[in-house]
Amino acid sequence: MAKAIVKEPRRKLSKAARHEELMGLLFVLPPFIGFAVFMLYPICFSMAASLASWNGIGPVFNRMVGFANYIKLFQDERFWKALWNTVFYMIGIPIGMILSIIFAMGMNRNIPGVRILRTMFYVPVVSSLVAVSILWSFVYNYDYGVLNTITKLLFGIKVNWLGDEHIIKPALVLFTVWKGMGSSILLYLAGLQNISRSYYEAADIDGANAWKKFRNITLPLLTPITFYIMVTSIIGGLQLFVEVQVMAPNGGPGYSAATVVFYLYNKAFESSYMSYGCAVAWVLTILILIVTLFQFKFQDRWVQDIS
Amino acid sequence: MNKIFKRSACLVMAAAMAASLLTACGNDKKAKRTADGKANLTVMVYAQEHEQAVYQEMIDAFKEANKDTVNDVDFQVTTADEYGTKIAAAISSNTLPDVFYVGPENVEKYASQGIIAPLKDLIAENDNINLDDIWPAITDAYEYEGDIYALPKDLSTFAYAFNKRLFDEAGLEYPDIENPYTWDEFYDVCKTLTKDKDGDGETDQWGAGFAYAYMFTPFMYSNGATFLNEDQTKVTIDGDENFLEAVEYFASLTLDGLTPSVEQDAALGYYSRWLDGQLGFYAAGTWDVAAFNNDETFPDEWDFCAWPVGKTGVSYTWNGTVGFCVANGTENTAEALDLISYLSVNQEGQEQLSSSGLQIPNTMEYARGEFKDKVTSGEIAWADNIDVVFNYIEGTEKYQGVFLETTYTYNAEWWDMWCSEFTTVLDGSVSAADYISYIAPKMQTALDEANEAKELNS
Repeated sequence: MAKAIVKEPRRKLSKAARHEELMGLLFVLPPFIGFAVFMLYPICFSMAASLASWNGIGPVFNRMVGFANYIKLFQDERFWKALWNTVFYMIGIPIGMILSIIFAMGMNRNIPGVRILRTMFYVPVVSSLVAVSILWSFVYNYDYGVLNTITKLLFGIKVNWLGDEHIIKPALVLFTVWKGMGSSILLYLAGLQNISRSYYEAADIDGANAWKKFRNITLPLLTPITFYIMVTSIIGGLQLFVEVQVMAPNGGPGYSAATVVFYLYNKAFESSYMSYGCAVAWVLTILILIVTLFQFKFQDRWVQDIS
Repeated sequence: MNKIFKRSACLVMAAAMAASLLTACGNDKKAKRTADGKANLTVMVYAQEHEQAVYQEMIDAFKEANKDTVNDVDFQVTTADEYGTKIAAAISSNTLPDVFYVGPENVEKYASQGIIAPLKDLIAENDNINLDDIWPAITDAYEYEGDIYALPKDLSTFAYAFNKRLFDEAGLEYPDIENPYTWDEFYDVCKTLTKDKDGDGETDQWGAGFAYAYMFTPFMYSNGATFLNEDQTKVTIDGDENFLEAVEYFASLTLDGLTPSVEQDAALGYYSRWLDGQLGFYAAGTWDVAAFNNDETFPDEWDFCAWPVGKTGVSYTWNGTVGFCVANGTENTAEALDLISYLSVNQEGQEQLSSSGLQIPNTMEYARGEFKDKVTSGEIAWADNIDVVFNYIEGTEKYQGVFLETTYTYNAEWWDMWCSEFTTVLDGSVSAADYISYIAPKMQTALDEANEAKELNS
């Protein structure tokens, strides 16, 4: 990390070099303008707006209330409930990762039809989230859903998947695992194919069994992929919204399915508490930042450096 | 040569990227006015497909009739779900269409911020509009500080409807609209209508079905209770005997199996069950008439009736309306008003809209006169008991229509709170009294916050 900074004497640029520098700047200008207009300005604006009492349509800064929105937020039991739900949904991440490794290893063999399988598992990833959410709410339907038809046949019972406050969260976890597995499988598959055969051959000579090879070669060499999936899944998981909005539009029984972003959306756009919504967004941003920094900080304890 | 070509190609691409970025933020809409002073009007509404077709026709006719002043009308239609977000975005980016929808709940908010134009003076000058001929219940909804801010797109009321076939099969007499059912009578009728038709031990026909929280309100009002006090500062449900009685009665219908259970309702909504002929009663909006008269969607015969009456002896329901408003400060105010008057009160337009069974006429004279005659004679396919609808809208001794109390509050959070766990009362896990004392303080907190925000934003 800490490289000595060598200070180069400033030399006079030739005309051609200066021209090139100018061209370079010209090329970075569009994305920078894009960033400034569509990211930087809204970010700063939302920070300021979170300190006001703004309904989303009137003048923004004529009523500044300081940190009142943040204080109110931490006192609102619905916020904590939504946060807890969001954290609960995260149990889908390790489940999805374990299943993905298993499926990826299965699909890493030369079996007939493996391409079709890979495509099938990837279909949910490229499908519209809203569309598959609607489909899954049919799957979970109490009276005529596929799942209840099966449970009725096998066990003679019907489960109220989306109507029971204790079952709706696991039901949504199942859905998110299904939806996310395709991309994890693809990443793991790429990782598996990057592992050199020679490690396994050497292990064979030493007489290692399949489990030992998995435990000591495959798993460690996949850790960079695992780390990547973990970081992106947690960031994505903290922003879960569409699934809930479609499958439990009122937040589920007793608000049991609502997530932080769902809470944010309803406060800002349904209840006209735009400033409050901005405050929720900032709390969420800081939370994501802390969690992600934490993961990067401790990655060297378990992520193998294979470069 | 090649190098020069590459370099200039790069430059062109960079310029194109930068340019597209800039135009993306710019406003590439047509000018509001043409060079010769004609208006280019923009309209944004939400509508269902069949409704959109009718309005498109009306707008084309309007364009034809106003060739001298109007060059073009850009008619944009969104879904009802998207509409609020789109308008909010248009307001903050100052790109509001000339004409758009406003509901009574937003009139105060928009009018006080100068977002929508006051129309009273302009209406007075406009020969096409006679305010006295529009139902007073609607014009009241669009008033703010003595001025009027919108003309109605429609006024609807949630009258009660019953399935004639189920009544015939059960040998029951049809409801008498002069003498609405008492709660006890209604309970008995529902009980008679509730049946296990295929004998498998599970009920498959019920007296009624409800969208729980909304359809509780007619029972509440009719028993002399409300959620809030008159100036919307206090939640008054805790300790109100009439309110408790209404909740208990309403819950008893579900607990005693006279409506589908909470679980059954989650599986298949009351609307589908009604269309399928499983329910005796249904809360029908005036826009439902077209669908219910269509044998493909609803094969049974039906008619309107009154909601059952509680302690007050008056049958209550809630009304709904949405209106056309004009953006404040647009150059096209006069033409925009011409357009909304055309859509709102033009005789031919009203005939077309009301005969399609999507809404009742906005103009009273036509509604009570020619329209009613045509309904009675069968020329317009509607429902025989059309008086029920008129009664709720006008208000009579036995009928009253009101706007839900959320219309008058800054937002509906207190109401969402009430709805949030209401099903626990209907599945019997919590008693009505316990639920009320549990939820009332939470509703009060939500209401206080809303009133505070209203204060800060005024």
